[in-house]
Amino acid sequence: MKRILEHPPQPATGRRYWRSVNELSDTPEFRGWLEREFPSGAAQLTGDEWSRRGFLKLMGASVALAGFGLTSCRRPEAHLLPFSKSVEWAIPGKPLYYATAMPRRTGALPLVVSTVDGRPIKVEGNPLHPASGGGTDAYAQASILDLYDPARSKRFIEKVEKKDEHKRKSSGPPAAKNSSRWVGETRDAAAFQKYLEQLRPQLAADGGAGLAFLVEETLSPTRDRLRRELERVYPRMRWCRYEPLLSDAQNYSSEMTFGANSKLVPRFDRADVVLALDSDFLDPNEGDVASVRAFSARRRVTSAKDTMNRLYVVENHYTLTGGMADHRLRIPASQVPAFTYALAQKISAATSDAGLGSVIATLTPQQGAMQFDDAWIAECAKDLIAKSGASIVIAGRHQPVIVQLMVYGINSALKNIGTTMLVRDFPLESRPFSILQLAAEINAGRVKQLFILGGDPVYNAPRGLVEDAETKQSLDWADLQKKVPEVVRLGYFEDATSALAKWHVPGAHYLESWGDALTAEGAYLAIQPMILPLFGGVSDVQMLSLLLGRPHGEGPETVQETFQATNPPGDGGSAWAQLLRDGFASHVPLRDKAPAFNGNNAGGIAQTQWTPIPAPTPDSPEIVLVGDYSVDDGRYVNNGWLQEMPDPVTKLTWDNAALISPAYARHLKVSTGDMIEITVTEAGNSAGQPIVRQLRIAAMIAPGHADNSVTIPLGYGRAVGAEGPLPYAGAEGAQQPPSGETTGFNGYYLRTAAHPHFIVADGRTVKSVEVKKVAGSYAFATTQEHWSIEGRGMVREATIERYRTNNEFVTEIAGDDELPSQLPTLYSHPPLNAPQQWGMAVDLNVCTGCSACVMACQAENNIPVVGKLQVSHGRAMHWMRIDRYFADEKDYNQDRGEIPEQPEMVHQPMMCQHCENAPCETVCPVNATVHSEDGLNVMAYNRCIGTRYCANNCPFKVRRFNFFDYNQRPVGKKKIAGPINVYEEYLGPLTKKGAPDLTRLQKNPNVTVRMRGVMEKCTYCVQRIEEAKIAAHVKAGASANTLIPRDSFTSACAQACPMDAIVFGDVRDPESRVSQMKKQDRNYRLLEYLNVNTRTSYLARIRNPNPRMPDAHLVGIASPIAHHAANGANGPHDAEGHDKGVLNPHENH
Amino acid sequence: MANFFPRWSNWLPLKILIILLTIVTGVTAATWYYVTPKYTRVGYAPIQPVLFPHSLHVSQLGMDCRYCHSFVDVAAHSNLPNTQTCMACHTQVQANSPKLEPVRASWKTGMPIEWVQIHRTPDYVYYNHAAHVNRGISCASCHGKVNEMDVVYHAKPHSMAWCLECHRAPENHLRPVDQVYNLNWEPKDVNPAEFVAQYGQPADAQGEDWSKKQKLTQQEIGRTLKERWNVQPPLNCQGCHR
Repeated sequence: MKRILEHPPQPATGRRYWRSVNELSDTPEFRGWLEREFPSGAAQLTGDEWSRRGFLKLMGASVALAGFGLTSCRRPEAHLLPFSKSVEWAIPGKPLYYATAMPRRTGALPLVVSTVDGRPIKVEGNPLHPASGGGTDAYAQASILDLYDPARSKRFIEKVEKKDEHKRKSSGPPAAKNSSRWVGETRDAAAFQKYLEQLRPQLAADGGAGLAFLVEETLSPTRDRLRRELERVYPRMRWCRYEPLLSDAQNYSSEMTFGANSKLVPRFDRADVVLALDSDFLDPNEGDVASVRAFSARRRVTSAKDTMNRLYVVENHYTLTGGMADHRLRIPASQVPAFTYALAQKISAATSDAGLGSVIATLTPQQGAMQFDDAWIAECAKDLIAKSGASIVIAGRHQPVIVQLMVYGINSALKNIGTTMLVRDFPLESRPFSILQLAAEINAGRVKQLFILGGDPVYNAPRGLVEDAETKQSLDWADLQKKVPEVVRLGYFEDATSALAKWHVPGAHYLESWGDALTAEGAYLAIQPMILPLFGGVSDVQMLSLLLGRPHGEGPETVQETFQATNPPGDGGSAWAQLLRDGFASHVPLRDKAPAFNGNNAGGIAQTQWTPIPAPTPDSPEIVLVGDYSVDDGRYVNNGWLQEMPDPVTKLTWDNAALISPAYARHLKVSTGDMIEITVTEAGNSAGQPIVRQLRIAAMIAPGHADNSVTIPLGYGRAVGAEGPLPYAGAEGAQQPPSGETTGFNGYYLRTAAHPHFIVADGRTVKSVEVKKVAGSYAFATTQEHWSIEGRGMVREATIERYRTNNEFVTEIAGDDELPSQLPTLYSHPPLNAPQQWGMAVDLNVCTGCSACVMACQAENNIPVVGKLQVSHGRAMHWMRIDRYFADEKDYNQDRGEIPEQPEMVHQPMMCQHCENAPCETVCPVNATVHSEDGLNVMAYNRCIGTRYCANNCPFKVRRFNFFDYNQRPVGKKKIAGPINVYEEYLGPLTKKGAPDLTRLQKNPNVTVRMRGVMEKCTYCVQRIEEAKIAAHVKAGASANTLIPRDSFTSACAQACPMDAIVFGDVRDPESRVSQMKKQDRNYRLLEYLNVNTRTSYLARIRNPNPRMPDAHLVGIASPIAHHAANGANGPHDAEGHDKGVLNPHENH
Repeated sequence: MANFFPRWSNWLPLKILIILLTIVTGVTAATWYYVTPKYTRVGYAPIQPVLFPHSLHVSQLGMDCRYCHSFVDVAAHSNLPNTQTCMACHTQVQANSPKLEPVRASWKTGMPIEWVQIHRTPDYVYYNHAAHVNRGISCASCHGKVNEMDVVYHAKPHSMAWCLECHRAPENHLRPVDQVYNLNWEPKDVNPAEFVAQYGQPADAQGEDWSKKQKLTQQEIGRTLKERWNVQPPLNCQGCHR
């Protein structure tokens, strides 16, 4: 009897999930992606010269030649090299774990790093500290790759003048003078120290009058202490801190309203209602992991009786926070001040709070500002007021001071200050120079020696910092840096800033240096090195110690001094040992201040800060500049893992794009990939000449984006490394950036200090903002259309009310009950009789899609980077992907081809589901993929012959094939000009074999490095399972108890997840965490009607909309049937569905 | 009707047959030698930089395996001794022997001694020593009687089939854990009464009282320990391949 499984029909009404514009409009390209497990042509070598036929000819020749030589008939002799002297703690092959921390601009992340044979190979969160709780984020996971980056700076460079050579070449054009006269000479550390020794007396002579520092934010108490010591020695020095994505608006506002050294710390674990105003606090880098965990703790439900928090989000483009929102209002980022004002008025009127009243008293409604949905604001305000003392209103860091002040006033009026918003004493270089002040000093010629510690100001400093006194030209940082006679630059890469410095000093990675840092909440963390600096890198603490003439730079002494000054309990030695063991100091108190909101002060500032911002129009849109999820502000631009990590929202790899709404795209007549030109005309200099800044960038249609708004993620277009900008000619061409380079588009070209976040034609500083379509298109490598699965109830969602009325809604979806009763099977299944059975549960309710798990998987499982071209061919190797679904309430059939403007966004982590009846296993001709007794679908790489039948038969499309030898050979040696880009071609066996030693150091020794022609997929981290099993056996010894202790280990993705959304463990043990999760009524398995019996299950998403909100009916009604039933009584959808004769699946079967 | 086949084609079938036979023989012979597990390195005994006689150190001096291979019971790898371990004795004993010159040179310079690897598992095989020696599998089961070797050689095939032989029937190799490092241990050394008192008898042998026996066979000892310790060696790919 042949049984043909019919997929359940698409529901006629209700929500439909779609992952891309092409899917929705059902283009032929999309059908192509959908119906093939690999894209068309994926099995063929691309490029003109290297067709498959040509390749085979060459291969034949090389095989024949290899045969003649008869090489490698014998195994080569191998050697074993033990240490000559024992190394403390080292056991060959056993990892060692050390606590450390990753410094960040917003607060350090406590980590535990595993080192194998002295090499750090994997980063995990420190479970002992609440700032991590064991979770990490994508940047921390990928930072290990930066340590082994072959392009990192490895040498001291002194720029010296070569006069002789110049004379010989002097016939050249004078324009080349600047660049050819100066050469970078490689020096050693001793030469640099000698230079500093000579410099110090000079500096001391005039009290450091010409000395300036430009540093990035690390929140290091030791560095702050060294700064204070330097200020004693050089009292006239300047200390400037610049972070492109760190605005001082929040610090300034909190100091003005709550007193000096104040910082507001949100406590999401105490908040029932959260309103985020252009704040992506759920992005672990923008907020902090502690906040993310606290938020998710209140988001989590275990049964229909539980309560959960409610999240309102107001933003212009979809962020991770927006994806979690219960109610999301899309407005241009420049209209957030007006929105906040409207909200403040409502709350002020309802609470009659004096503080808030005085903030907004002098403000007047803006002329020309956007009109907002009054009901939305009113109901949102009511909800916030109802939860006074248990709500949080949080504004994005980049929103101007006026927004921060109003938000503090609102929180004060809501009595949140002191309960959900703590006022913390945070004494740390709170008021350093701004980069504008430093630029003015340089322009005045008062800076003679400039130390740049980290950062890349030539690349990312605001444009047009000051105006030249004579020429009236506006000067960029590159021009200013040339005016400083002696620039010493400490940098991790040799980049544009290094090219304009007298000395370039290689920076040390945080895993190579001693240091300390504070978390976002102010707890003290230690940073200890895992390995000596690989290339003699220097940390910023070391650099400052050298400047102070301290002898000990490399060791922990400098940090120890800081630590001992905190008066640790007990004797110093044991306290220090405890600090290194735990990674944090528990005795340093976090001091909270009395919550006293200074409304008068705030009101005074608010009055001066209130400037009307007109609503953007189609002809005069706003430009919004934001950080990127992959490369942050550009610091991770050379990190292949992060570059290849699909953006959580756009699923774009290797590039950024100008994100625009579907409506605005129609107005501009552009589609995804078309080039647009952005022209910003600024009011100009004192001579009255306008300054025009232009950027050509490829556009991308982003559903859920605000209209008349263009979002540009920053961080791309930065050149670093050996093939970077050295020798560098200067900042010529800064106005006309090259377009179409593989590293994306540099949004910093548009960014000025006056408009760091959004650029709007306000008639004062900016005259006009124009966006127009220009000729040309750009090829993006997106993963969103890869591995598509048509809407088959993969994601299930409900509102909490729906869940309470019907807690079994997940089982009523997408034909799970179509599964016939057990049929006799032809196949013999291996017995699942091991004492422990592995399984996984993913709670979609708390998954934000941040992709930390994807990075953790890549780090743990030696997954190669394949490059932009390969990704665009659908050959990305990630074992784990995050499917991003957009969901819209409109009827599917009607709006086909039309892109909904305001969809919901849901993320779903997708990896091998470890089906008990795995379809892949039955088709493998060589038994390379089989089932184990403990329920794993295992891959034996050395058996695989690469037929790819398994991938063909996988209903989840989670198998990945090594089309090339990604680990052994670089994909590309020869550059070939393609239709759009110059890309590098893979020359197969003709390419030199062998990865750089440096990158090999990162590999996890417990996971096979796969070769070409082999299939691979998620293994449930089988190496961790086996390690745990072996440890249990070793412990058992001569006894019978070989069980692994409950929840004593977990998979890499589950360990990394900052939200604890992924739980892995023994499903046979009813008390294990994963069994507890699977017992919940939200638990469902994918494609159950295929009888594949997956081991991974998902917990349906629950949204908590406010029923009185005007958009409540758009929220959280994902499950088609649930939605249908909910609206059946009064919904027009029901009638329409039946009119068309399309029945819903339940009535159909 | 003209001849359809030219004259030379008369010999063609024979020629084809001879060529085919040659190819088949060649392929079979090559496969026999290279591809089947018979192609192992049994007997491989390379010359080491220092001629460390295991027979002298273990059999005559009575040193335990773990004096040098100190992490065999905790780690996946059985480590080779550091130069420091050698020098612990050889600063006193044979301190000036010319044979130990490489050891002293290593101690002085800090450069490791380059021992030639004998037992080598492929990169895709993850063997764990600790899991075996702690559960009653002796060194001798895989490495032979190293204690009697003047020059260490590859004693067993170490092919996958050979691994599986034991994984399918561990009772052929299990021994009490305190005898794991005693490479001279034999089943007849076991006192049946003591053994049964300590470990009991397997459930399927309750009819007979083994403690009354003169001697226990390896099978009997192995079956007892297997049941007593719940020994279930993995037979799946994942046990060794990750």
